[in-house]
Amino acid sequence: MSDNKNSTCNEQAFDQFFKSQSKLLRNYIYYKFGDLEQAEDIVQDTFIKLWNNCSKVPLDKAKSYIYTIATNLGISITRHQKVRFKYQDYITQRKSDVTNESPEFIALEKEYMEKLKNAIADLPERQREVFLLSRIDKKTYKEIAEMSNVSVKAIEKLMHKALLAMRKKIGNI
Amino acid sequence: MLDDKKDEIFLSRWINGELSEEELREFKSHPEYEYYMKIMAGADALDLKGYDVEKELTIIKSKRGNNTIKKSSSVIKLWPYFAVAASVAIILGLFLFGPNESFTTNYGEQLAVTLPDGSEMILNAKSNASFDKDSWEENRTVSLEGEAYFKVKKGSKFTVTTKNGEVSVLGTEFNVQSYTSFFEVACYEGKVSVTNDQQRKVLTAGNAYRNLKNIAPESWTFVAQTPSWINSTSTFRSVPIKYVFKEIEEQYNIKVDTSNINTGVIYTGTFPNDNIEVALKTVFSTLGMDYSLSQDGKTVVLEK
Repeated sequence: MSDNKNSTCNEQAFDQFFKSQSKLLRNYIYYKFGDLEQAEDIVQDTFIKLWNNCSKVPLDKAKSYIYTIATNLGISITRHQKVRFKYQDYITQRKSDVTNESPEFIALEKEYMEKLKNAIADLPERQREVFLLSRIDKKTYKEIAEMSNVSVKAIEKLMHKALLAMRKKIGNI
Repeated sequence: MLDDKKDEIFLSRWINGELSEEELREFKSHPEYEYYMKIMAGADALDLKGYDVEKELTIIKSKRGNNTIKKSSSVIKLWPYFAVAASVAIILGLFLFGPNESFTTNYGEQLAVTLPDGSEMILNAKSNASFDKDSWEENRTVSLEGEAYFKVKKGSKFTVTTKNGEVSVLGTEFNVQSYTSFFEVACYEGKVSVTNDQQRKVLTAGNAYRNLKNIAPESWTFVAQTPSWINSTSTFRSVPIKYVFKEIEEQYNIKVDTSNINTGVIYTGTFPNDNIEVALKTVFSTLGMDYSLSQDGKTVVLEK
């Protein structure tokens, strides 16, 4: 079994799978539970678990397996202490894009960016997840819908709601 | 802020560049437009701390340590290994081919389970679900006691059996609650069919059905996209309070002493599943009941 190239137990296949999936999983768990370092620990534990169960989890099921395991780990850790979404030190500003892509942005004050991050932190979990997967990870609505097994329409509604909520929170500055 | 006539995915379509020329022109002249532009420009300039994939992979490899295959070149006596291998095979066999996979949640717990075909089941507190893994391909059946939310992959018939009736579907999202003398099914996507002794009913998305002891079965419609308990809130719609109390007991592992009150009162409302003080206050103050918590914090005594 472990010699099969398509088996999760195959070292190369496992490495490749880790490289293609781990970053997005980390971000997803971070958006969901609010702590980046904790999310990285969860990703480690999840993939160790995958390795230990590699004979039972075929490679084509591995993706949904890691999302389920990581989500469960997150739920069990945060059950008793609901953390507020942490963004200090984690979410930064891309310098180059500021000047290249959106000239209007230069005029936006630092204060505005603080308000924006604050508004993101205050979003309900699902809306924040969708908004950040779309904006930071540049995932399409379809890809996001597949990650959480819901319809594209549901994602579009969440995105719309997220923007309305942020607009309300930020106010007229 | 935005005109009410805008549909509920208007801003998503705008971000994706899916607005028609006319819609876009109209939006651009709207006073709200610049604020949304600002939010998007700001959001698109955000970046997340980097992730060192190679380093993380090395950490995982060192942690999983002993599980990697050890190669040994010395000559090995085979017989004892055959014996061990045979017993391992037997023990594994017991696990792999045992009759059922079974999952149970305790007070206040939730558990997400991926079923063999990739369908998902999320169990609410104090519930039990079991299924036969080996015959899953031919027979997608889960037996349930308590409450669970299902996201079913398209495929052959998927059935949830409870002692109050059967719910079966082809591929959809739905919630089932089945307790002694309480049975409620809500369909969130697709179509489900509910069968019990008295009748067979088909529910489409946004429809729910309930059958309580001593009360005529009823149906209603709703707009939520997932059951509220997935987000740690319990919701009730015209339910006799004894079922509300039962849910509080299951979420917080406490007892509610109802000897002084009438448990036939009907309740509509919600309570959080992660804050006992708020939960008790919400439910009992709206019912106009005084309550006190026993010394060990395990029993709530009610006074009318």
